[in-house]
Amino acid sequence: MMNEVQTTITNEEVRIALSGRIDSNNAHAVEEEVLAAVAGREKLPVRIDAEKLEYISSAGLRVILHLKKSAPDLCITNVNSEVYEILDMTGFTQMMTVEKAYRVVSVEGCEEIGRGANGTIYRIDKDNVVKVYNNADALADIQHEREVARIALVLGIPTAISYDVVRVGNSYGSVFELLNASCFSKILAEHPERMDWCVKEYTEMLKKIHGTLVPEGKLPDMKQTALGWAKFMKDYLPKEEGDKLVSLIEAVPHDDHMIHGDYHTKNLELQGDEVLLIDMDTLAVGHPIFEFASIYNSFIGYSEYDHETVKRFQGFDFETAKTFWNKVLAAYLGTNDEKKLREVENKARVIGYARMIRRSIRRHGLETEAGKAEIDLWTGELIDLLHSTDSLLFLRNEMEIEAKSERLPEVLSFIEQHLEACACPAKLRMQIAIAAEEIFVNIANYAYAPKVGKATVRVEISEDPIRVTLIFVDNGKPFDPTKKNDPDISLPAEERDIGGLGIFMTKKIMDDVIYEYADGKNILTLKKEL
Amino acid sequence: MLTIQTKNENNILTLSLDGRLDTTTAPLLEDELQKSLPGKDALIFDLEKLEYISSAGLRVLLSAQKRMLGEGGMKLIHVGETVAEIFEVTGFSDILTIE
Repeated sequence: MMNEVQTTITNEEVRIALSGRIDSNNAHAVEEEVLAAVAGREKLPVRIDAEKLEYISSAGLRVILHLKKSAPDLCITNVNSEVYEILDMTGFTQMMTVEKAYRVVSVEGCEEIGRGANGTIYRIDKDNVVKVYNNADALADIQHEREVARIALVLGIPTAISYDVVRVGNSYGSVFELLNASCFSKILAEHPERMDWCVKEYTEMLKKIHGTLVPEGKLPDMKQTALGWAKFMKDYLPKEEGDKLVSLIEAVPHDDHMIHGDYHTKNLELQGDEVLLIDMDTLAVGHPIFEFASIYNSFIGYSEYDHETVKRFQGFDFETAKTFWNKVLAAYLGTNDEKKLREVENKARVIGYARMIRRSIRRHGLETEAGKAEIDLWTGELIDLLHSTDSLLFLRNEMEIEAKSERLPEVLSFIEQHLEACACPAKLRMQIAIAAEEIFVNIANYAYAPKVGKATVRVEISEDPIRVTLIFVDNGKPFDPTKKNDPDISLPAEERDIGGLGIFMTKKIMDDVIYEYADGKNILTLKKEL
Repeated sequence: MLTIQTKNENNILTLSLDGRLDTTTAPLLEDELQKSLPGKDALIFDLEKLEYISSAGLRVLLSAQKRMLGEGGMKLIHVGETVAEIFEVTGFSDILTIE
């Protein structure tokens, strides 16, 4: 027997351990040996253990190809990184299962910098972190997370992608490069004065995620996951409420935009001046209300019964968490209207409670006094909410858009949605749309010319009497349209000037047109009472 | 969306507008006028199905009106209430011939 080949046969597999170098000098002999090892044992899967394999040339690779013919489900394990590179370059990793040998890493004494649903993240040295998975059999999860992180990165979401899989105790970890990074929870806990900065960055990233369209089928659909929670809850709610929960979620339209799924402040990192999203394994697509359910839970829901929970998990107290949540919600929706904020919060809570109750019950929450008290508290809230909730949908009050006249239809349909929601008569809808068109097209044509910049459009509707307020903001050249001279509308057609009409119409249509220049921004506010 | 239907009878051009006449669709109407208007004796706009008109649309109407001054003139027919109100606000109702 040659010393390059060691064959072990069990009732589960034929294991062929290869060692040293396999090249044209010994390939022929190795081939005879391995084919003899599998002959007559066609029913058993064949595994090559490459732990001691140092080098393989093309002659050696041909041996593996021949072996694969007689053992189609051949796999190669414990492959060191040099050999893995050869197998990868030659396409062998595509043809068969090839598993790398894992470096062993210890996290003892390492700083915990993040924690998500499926694992905990530790800093192992100044440049690297490792995410250790809770599940001992985590290779499939790791593969999933790498895949979704790659999808996110390609779609423009700043995130870290793991470059190595390692063995940590009895589990696996994936290693990322993360230089000098600090998570947002730490910033909030140590620098309360940076609250508003954190809110701004956190909300901008959230809008970026939700503005990212994901090609169909690439990520799981959060609505289906939430429907699963709702169906589980039917056994723990009165019939009517259980049915209503399911029908509310069923009524949420399918949405192919990205959601993170576990977007709390331990999963957002500041690296230098760059903000990075980590812990991507919960990435999905769906309506933003599902994201807000999970955000609500992270900051408030899980701590409703015991206010210390958030402190243990995030490092800051319940009051800070509540303030942060409220500010994020206001910044995301683009309104400070308390009624609107609570309305959206309640929609998020409907899904949030269903998720928390199910999670707690599955973790034997009903078997302890404290667990039961918590579940009772959440269930009571959920039932109340189900009585007062008719839809889980909401409208944002603000949109940011490239100031180009081709984008006008999007601006008008955004405003239209709000006008429809407040039952604005058709005639006024058209007039308000005319005013909005004039202002937006003005920004598109002049604010940044010849470049292109962004415009923010905000819609607010107040009651008693119903008043619509439109606010247009751009960072372009200072320009006060209210100062523009009105065209003389008494002139006959041949003498009338073609310009200036738009602003004039806007002033005629709206009750108030107010211009302000602040912080380098043109802010134009239009008001109309219905 | 704007749909323009053209009819030429006795050298009078009638354009029926259906939909929205705004920043995005006004160039379509301008092109149509460039193409069909030269040499015509008169111009009629049928606005029965026009749902929306913004200043970009008004500018096209105004320039057409100017071009037709030396010719047989221009008039608007079947103007709906909401569109009429816009003409009112902008003073267009005084300079355009509305039937």
